[in-house]
Amino acid sequence: MSGHAFKEFKINWGMVIDLDKCTGCGACMTACQVENNIAPMVDASNKMRTLSWMLVFELSNGKPAPEAEVAYLPRPCMQCGHPACVPVCPVVATDKNEEGGIVSQIYPRCIGCRYCMAACPYHARYFNWEDPIFPKGMEKALSPDTSTRPRGVVEKCNFCHTRLMHAKDKARQDGGDPEALAEGAYIPACVEVCPTGAITFGDLKNPEHKVHQLSKSKNAFRLLEKLGLKPQVYYMSNREWVRKLGDNYAAGGKPGAEKKHS
Amino acid sequence: MGLDRRGFVKFVVGGVAGTLFTPVIWKGMDDAAKWSQNWGWIPRLPKGERKAVPALSKLCKSGCAVKVQTVGGAPFAALGNPDNPMSKGGVCPICAGSVQLMYSPARVAGPLKKVGEGKYSPIKWEEAEAMLVEKLTPLKGQDGKIAAISGDETGTANEVLSALLAGLGNASGYCAMPGEMLTATRGVKLMGGAGQPGFDIEGADFVLMIGADALDSWGASVANQKAFAASHPTGEAATARFVYAGPALNNTSGVCDQFVAVPPTATGVFALALANALISVGATCSAPDFADYKALAAKCTPEVFEKATGLKAEVLKDLAGKIKAAKAPLVIPGASFGQGSGALDFVAGASLNVLLGRVGQKGGMTLLPAAPKALSAAADRAEAKDAGSFMAQVATGKAAPAALIVYEANPAYALPQAGDMTKALGNIAFKVAFATYMDETASLADLVLPAPHPYERFDDAMNPYGVAKPTYLAGKPVLAKPVVDAKDPVDVLLAAAGKLGLSLGFETYADVIKAKAKAVGADMDTLTGGAAWTGEPKGGSLSLGAAALAKAPAPKADDKAVALAPLSKLACGTTELACPPADLLTIRDTELKGKDLFVQMNAATAKKLGVAEGNKIKLTGGSGEVKALVHVNEGVAAGTVAMLMGFGHSAWDQYTKGKGDNIFKILTVSDEAGTGMKVWAGSTVTVAKI
Repeated sequence: MSGHAFKEFKINWGMVIDLDKCTGCGACMTACQVENNIAPMVDASNKMRTLSWMLVFELSNGKPAPEAEVAYLPRPCMQCGHPACVPVCPVVATDKNEEGGIVSQIYPRCIGCRYCMAACPYHARYFNWEDPIFPKGMEKALSPDTSTRPRGVVEKCNFCHTRLMHAKDKARQDGGDPEALAEGAYIPACVEVCPTGAITFGDLKNPEHKVHQLSKSKNAFRLLEKLGLKPQVYYMSNREWVRKLGDNYAAGGKPGAEKKHS
Repeated sequence: MGLDRRGFVKFVVGGVAGTLFTPVIWKGMDDAAKWSQNWGWIPRLPKGERKAVPALSKLCKSGCAVKVQTVGGAPFAALGNPDNPMSKGGVCPICAGSVQLMYSPARVAGPLKKVGEGKYSPIKWEEAEAMLVEKLTPLKGQDGKIAAISGDETGTANEVLSALLAGLGNASGYCAMPGEMLTATRGVKLMGGAGQPGFDIEGADFVLMIGADALDSWGASVANQKAFAASHPTGEAATARFVYAGPALNNTSGVCDQFVAVPPTATGVFALALANALISVGATCSAPDFADYKALAAKCTPEVFEKATGLKAEVLKDLAGKIKAAKAPLVIPGASFGQGSGALDFVAGASLNVLLGRVGQKGGMTLLPAAPKALSAAADRAEAKDAGSFMAQVATGKAAPAALIVYEANPAYALPQAGDMTKALGNIAFKVAFATYMDETASLADLVLPAPHPYERFDDAMNPYGVAKPTYLAGKPVLAKPVVDAKDPVDVLLAAAGKLGLSLGFETYADVIKAKAKAVGADMDTLTGGAAWTGEPKGGSLSLGAAALAKAPAPKADDKAVALAPLSKLACGTTELACPPADLLTIRDTELKGKDLFVQMNAATAKKLGVAEGNKIKLTGGSGEVKALVHVNEGVAAGTVAMLMGFGHSAWDQYTKGKGDNIFKILTVSDEAGTGMKVWAGSTVTVAKI
């Protein structure tokens, strides 16, 4: 285990998701499923059983018609700087120990105790209640990038980690530095597919990457910032009600937050 | 040497101790643990060289230019093609899961012949093609005996269908499934123009969408989304405002600067009341019928607006002020579910573009010239009959075709009053369905001919509805051979034409597309390499359509009924395609739960109807009824119930069959005054608790 202390990395792969540009179309969820070999479920309306590494939530301002408004919030794994899931794993099946700060999930090690799921405040982790069943023939369209998981293990978004490996390989082959990837050399499937470009991806610590500046903009916020988990996923919205929902009305924190909890 | 008792005990104890010390047992347990984790029943990943092949996926209505990722020659994912000017690297939710659809359990694996009610037997292609020719031969030259319904809005396959029918003396039998394109082209005609309208979202600084779900299911949605994204750079100030005026909060309105909740029955009133508000703040134009238009608009007073929409008149004033202040405003009329609105609703919305002087301007409404044809014998796309009206005639016996060719369409499911349509199909003696999937219509057909998936065929897309400039895309197969025993429908039709003694000048669809590309002035290889050809819109002006609008009936007040707003979401499929397996996850549990569909309404409507969250209700309209659970959603317009389309399939596969209900059953078809068009966008339903 990497220990419970906050671990600094030179690179922090992260996202800034512009909620004012997300139409909630679901292309990111679909691309994620395809990239990560998530088998389709016959009853996908049973949300206690589905596996959605990327999940688009619908937010409502709670006002009556005609003042009602909605916003859509894509939720990948937050790749927390100080993850709640890592210290609770009894078998080190999940760790934050690789340059880039992506929280790993090692399926063959996972014993399915689901402590990590209980610990994750973002509900970003999913348990395989069943073996993956692809309809006959569909297994021929499996992505070569993500191993399929059996029943009994927990899984989650890993920012399409194989894409990072490919980007590093390419950098090495081209004589570049795999630890200094240019912006755009590595992007997860959801970012690539999004028709409105709502998700910006890059190294949060690299001033040459757009996310560096965007994460510091006045309308940027992180989910449940009050918990101190330091997610590597930021959101932004010009709408105050959306920002307020983001930190669940916690005291302090970001602009727009108001004190609700004592 | 004998073994005494003591010796035996020593041997056993020694043996046990020895076994414990040997690594064999531990190694065995370790191996058992590891090997039992080898999950032989879990699918293995493919290996091989990886490539990205440009392709055109026409699973969504407008078509997505994608790059199909392959490993060892087998496709596994579709990603965007950044080089394509239409999609600019974006992919819609359907096409994002398109590769998996090649292996859908609903795919038709080979030619099928009906042998009994719901029973099919596989046959060889030779037999199937011979049967097609045999059935069509006696009907040759008898106009009205052969009909074809196409569900493809953009492909040159339509020209082949149309030319084939014309060559067989059945030119009047060519029908198209309803959609915005048909309505809009007729609307343009009523405004004194000709051609398909286009909307330059990219160049506009204020986009008002009346009903049109332009950022999800309307028009070239990915291109529209890209245009929206360009005007809303992340972290910077937006350069355009987007306003959605429609029946419910949807994916489009989720990112709009403003949402105006307009019931689907009040779309026309909203547009004219806005015209009135604009004229009162000084909007004027040089159209010859301005005076008549002004008088008409004046009838849509703020009071009329308030009554029809349940909104306050200030909304209108505010909106008119913003539009007036914009440099390049654009109004996009449409139906919330991409079909069923009348030409007059289109005219009412589009006339605002004329009033604001935005026709033919950058960021305005354009008119596209008629596309050059590959087959001179083919009719213009706009001349196709509306399949809904045609099937209504079949139902009443006014039309009596003996053979029906269904091309990439699902009329048994996706026409209003779907129950009647299914019955009407029964009146046709021979039905042949060219279908990739075993849909409701294929399940009724006498002959089912499997069509290739988009990545197994040549196909093209001319002027997907909504594009501002003439646009042409083409794609070639990613796979050399389809994964099932499929044949290109156009190849089959061309061969059949030959056997029927008709030469259409081509042998394969690839040749047809080559000719089309040449006629357009594009290079086939460049197009199939992932590029798009674009031309220039034609000039010309439009009238305000006052003469047509004058015939529009005043909205009827019906206290018992509520307006029905079908909502369309690309991720739930299209009229031709059931929700793809890879998109099922995107459906919320407030939209579908188990097999129950939800009907959404605001709290005031729920109170008026005497229903509450979670109640099971029955909605009656058209010629059928639909059961659903109530979900209170404040984002639905006053006096309106909203429901998602794309459910209630009786065919397809385990992922979609029997889930929810088909909203097409409760849409009521009526005749639009003055145009004679069939409309169903302003349908109303009655609600009863069960």
